[in-house]
Amino acid sequence: MATRVTDIVLAVLTVTCFATPALAADDASIKKDLFTVITLQGLPCGEVVTFTSKGDYDHIASCRDGNRYHVFLNAQERVVVEKQ
Amino acid sequence: MQGGVPTSESANAPATPSRDIKAAPRSAKAPPPAPAVQSAKKESTTPDVAKPKAPPLDLTSLETRLKETKAIGVLTKIALKNQIDDLLDQFRDFYGGKLKITLAELRRPYDMLVLKVLSLLQDSDPALASAIAASREAIWGILSDPAKFATI
Repeated sequence: MATRVTDIVLAVLTVTCFATPALAADDASIKKDLFTVITLQGLPCGEVVTFTSKGDYDHIASCRDGNRYHVFLNAQERVVVEKQ
Repeated sequence: MQGGVPTSESANAPATPSRDIKAAPRSAKAPPPAPAVQSAKKESTTPDVAKPKAPPLDLTSLETRLKETKAIGVLTKIALKNQIDDLLDQFRDFYGGKLKITLAELRRPYDMLVLKVLSLLQDSDPALASAIAASREAIWGILSDPAKFATI
């Protein structure tokens, strides 16, 4: 029984160890994408530190310099960056 | 754009570095051009057999590679496409007589846009960055020719 529990714990730990960096990498790529879009519009940011997703292409990005932006794709398929 | 930030190139364009080529002082004792220079000029009039030719432009391939590259995020790709479409609209207005500027004035936003794309690609997809850089003049050749532009 103890062996079985150990196996399960090990399996969970293994999944966690491999899944967390993958999620973090995805998170990092979204942050980078948001930062690039913000700076492409000529807006100050420094670095996107956190973001909240409201949809696939709808995010609120918080920058290191304190700026917050709503970055979304509008009905005309244009990327819009609105300062919050 | 609905209340968003305009994507105008001119609004976001960083200042271009000044060139002081003309301001460089010339020595009053500068020697006259050496005969060797003249002979070199004569040599340059010979057929340029050894000169490497520019690679043929494959816009479709470049477009596909840009769409598929992992160096740029999805939102960034869409934002770049928006800016490319805006520039193409400017060319359409220019050739339609709606935009009262010169072709030379359209070159600056074109160069800025190419630089933006190159800066985004150069670290993560240097091969595509090189291909775009090599095609820069060929693409301008299409944009600056109304007949070729009409075929886009």
